[in-house]
Amino acid sequence: MRIAFGGNQAGFWWYMAAGAVLLLAFAGIGLFRGAVPIDEGDVLAVLARHLLPGERAADPSVDTIVWSLRAPRVVVAAMVGGCLALAGAQMQGLFRNPLASPGIVGTSTGAAAGAVFALTFGLAGTFLLAAPLFAVAGALLSLLIVTRIATRDGYTPVTTLLLAGVALNALLAAFNSWLIARSWEQYEAARRIAYWMMGGVTDRGWVHVGMVLPGMVIGCAIAVWFARDLDLLLEGEEVAASLGVDIEKTKRAVLWSAAILTGSAVAVSGVVGFVGLVVPHLVRLLLGPVHRRLLPAAFLTGAWFVVGADLLARTLVAPEEVFLGVVTAFVGAPFFLFLLVRHESEVAVSR
Amino acid sequence: MMETRGSARRAPRLELVDGGVERRGRWLLRDVDLVIEPAMLTSVVGPNGAGKSTLLRLLSGTWRLTEGKALLGGFDLSALPRRQAARRVAYVPQTVRPTFEFTVREFVTLGRYPHESRLFGTRSADRGWIDRCLDDTDVLALAERRVTTLSGGELQRVLMARCLATEAEVLLLDEPTSNLDLAHGLDLLGLARRLACEGRSVVLVLHDLNAAARFADRVAVLDGGALIAEGPPAEVLNPDLLRRVFRVEAVPLEGSTAPVFDFEPLR
Repeated sequence: MRIAFGGNQAGFWWYMAAGAVLLLAFAGIGLFRGAVPIDEGDVLAVLARHLLPGERAADPSVDTIVWSLRAPRVVVAAMVGGCLALAGAQMQGLFRNPLASPGIVGTSTGAAAGAVFALTFGLAGTFLLAAPLFAVAGALLSLLIVTRIATRDGYTPVTTLLLAGVALNALLAAFNSWLIARSWEQYEAARRIAYWMMGGVTDRGWVHVGMVLPGMVIGCAIAVWFARDLDLLLEGEEVAASLGVDIEKTKRAVLWSAAILTGSAVAVSGVVGFVGLVVPHLVRLLLGPVHRRLLPAAFLTGAWFVVGADLLARTLVAPEEVFLGVVTAFVGAPFFLFLLVRHESEVAVSR
Repeated sequence: MMETRGSARRAPRLELVDGGVERRGRWLLRDVDLVIEPAMLTSVVGPNGAGKSTLLRLLSGTWRLTEGKALLGGFDLSALPRRQAARRVAYVPQTVRPTFEFTVREFVTLGRYPHESRLFGTRSADRGWIDRCLDDTDVLALAERRVTTLSGGELQRVLMARCLATEAEVLLLDEPTSNLDLAHGLDLLGLARRLACEGRSVVLVLHDLNAAARFADRVAVLDGGALIAEGPPAEVLNPDLLRRVFRVEAVPLEGSTAPVFDFEPLR
């Protein structure tokens, strides 16, 4: 079921234009609306002060709220959404399975384990970057373990990779539970872990933007470089190899790219579920499976989806906040079930 | 009716020298010396499990040999970079239904991979070539259809189009007629025949021995992982060999120039 836009390049550009408009609109709302009402003119003045050349004066408290609280939050949300959706699209292509998620080989649980480890042992309290750095390290380490286990004579079968990933996911989830249970007595640490596990971009600053940026750039670059190879892998390894694809190199590059993207995203936002599963799936339905279009479109869609979800998270029960991970799952899961049911009925008809 | 155009370069010689492959302690194929002559239609026949698909994989260079060598134009195929090999030898495995919803044009364009540049992808010259391949295999009208909606015959022709899109001079096709009705099967064999006449080497795994006898220039008979016989159909296919290899009683049909038979079970 490939619905709209057909396979043509024009459809792709229309979709990207619409996505850009949505992203800008959501980002705008995120900047102009918040718990503290601020006059639109003042928001614009702050933005002009930071984005346009020349000296301008601004109210320091307004400046802090708009530029140090609202703006980085929107940017982090967009980056996290983009990274997760892109990684999900890559994993779905590599495993030839539209139900694969970015963390299917254990990378997001690994990232979570790294961060939880840093939080329980108080490292995060002494050093701000400890949790994110441990998260990225956890993601990469998980991938290293899984690929080591699944590789024989330089060949890594994806089914073995998948099974090893499932096992590692279970193991790391147990490790996380154990660490959390251990920290139950220390209220502050337990609270931070719980908040982090539920995912969110509350109180994220420019430092967090700086943390995702390198991983995002590297991950995106690798993803784009190997986009065409993924198209061929969809037809199976034998066909891809016969047409000249270096299968093992492609697998490795795509896995590392997705691990870096997932690790960087989880590092700053915690576990934001369903974005990496639903968004690429949806984009594939709309634009088809050609990765040169699918990957950028998934990135953009993930970006506006999470910025939008974060808007909901902070406005649904304002001035309280709902966790971002809760919102994405609440929106994503029913939508995903809807897709499943539709897919199921179509399979039934075509038989 | 399909009509082929395109490059008429003469294909390189593809040969297997003392080729053998072992998987999980079992020899799937051993001691195979076989030359795929340029510009010939070669048919590989043999009972189930004889090693026909394995032979094609070795010839395509997608499987590494355990012993022996595969030579393309005299050069070791395994030493050739994959992309370069893919420009010269195309391999179509037994048909699997596609699950991802490429359009026919996108699907056939996958065959351009070995010619594409990583940064700029498909060029307009490539696009023109795709149109010709679609036209040659009579699927131009299907160009915007999803490959998941094609019938078996349509899919097989689309696979042929993708195979042509590579511009390879050697085409290796594993049971290309197995999903086709009689007319489409004959059409495909006719197309293979014409491609061979234009200078490409075509290797087909076929189950229909009479089709092999009618269309092929040469027949290679495999059994139990060994090459039993190879040569022109009239020399290779005889009741004695067919009884030994296929366990059937072959009664020659009167009034045909090709060695075609009526088959009966062994008594």
